[in-house]
Amino acid sequence: MDFVRSPDSAPTATAPAPKPPIPVKIVVAGGFGVGKTTAVGAISEIIPLTTEAEMTEAAAGIDVPGSTTDKTTTTVAMDFGCVTIDQSLKLYLFGAPGQARFGFMWDDLAKGALGALVVVDSARLDDCYAAVDYFERADLPFAIGVNAFDGRLAHEIDEVRWALAVRESVPVFAFDARHRLSVRDAILIVLNLALERATRGR
Amino acid sequence: MSLPPDPESFRVRPFLDSQTAAPNLEPVEDLSPGLRPFVLTAGRVNGVDPDIDLETQVTARALEARRLAEVPIGGLTREHRAIVDLCAEPVSVAEISAKLGLHLGVTKILVGDLRAAGHLDVHTNDVDASHDPETILRVINGLRAFT
Repeated sequence: MDFVRSPDSAPTATAPAPKPPIPVKIVVAGGFGVGKTTAVGAISEIIPLTTEAEMTEAAAGIDVPGSTTDKTTTTVAMDFGCVTIDQSLKLYLFGAPGQARFGFMWDDLAKGALGALVVVDSARLDDCYAAVDYFERADLPFAIGVNAFDGRLAHEIDEVRWALAVRESVPVFAFDARHRLSVRDAILIVLNLALERATRGR
Repeated sequence: MSLPPDPESFRVRPFLDSQTAAPNLEPVEDLSPGLRPFVLTAGRVNGVDPDIDLETQVTARALEARRLAEVPIGGLTREHRAIVDLCAEPVSVAEISAKLGLHLGVTKILVGDLRAAGHLDVHTNDVDASHDPETILRVINGLRAFT
């Protein structure tokens, strides 16, 4: 388990269940096959957990992962990981499918979230429109991370920004979902937006 | 809702000892091939407890307190018991769902049941606490320390 007992606690646990950490939540959204699970897994201290495992056959014809991927299964519900900051603070990352028809999940996901990272495949920008729309409307701070597959981008960052038509205040940047520090930096960008929001006092 | 800490709890809850709380990433007990979701929730489809979110932390109450619970321990279903067992250490609702292979909506309802029956403490998210600039700064500094 990811909970670390304080070193000064007696070996015989006289206390009842330990005091739980404050959970802090960030949503990682994006279309199928863009690297959400990879990003969550790159930084999570646990193997990303999934509430439902694989894409159903019914969805298989609808959600065709990019032609360049050989991905055969994908998550239908959501997967998540966590990072223990310290004993009283734990960061949860929830990966959410970006398609409009999963919108019903997003209210659940966005509730109480500090912000969102929208993961984008620059070759399939339209996959993320629904997510961008949602977070704009929900007024949740979000940033757009263009996943550089094999270090390559199909479009320049400026072109991605132009195509998505997001406000100037929304960061658009390239990152690599496979690399822990790159994902960390992407999450930090979202956290900085959240901090700005929090210090402004809403 | 919370009872005073039980001084005798160490006798009855040896599993709280950190040795038994070793990292366990495998599903504890996959309950998914069991009953259909609406059977587990007795037909309910909406979470009864609006306080319960994905990241909400849940802990089992001390056994002494649970003995006095409205629904006796012996009266709990297999799913209920599996949830309580998982909550010896603080755990999020999403983790309970994933580890037990229970649908998220079902998990929320069952956790709500167990809270109402006096077996679990649900540590309702203090949105102000998680959105406090101090808290966000601590997360930022914690992540920056990554190597």
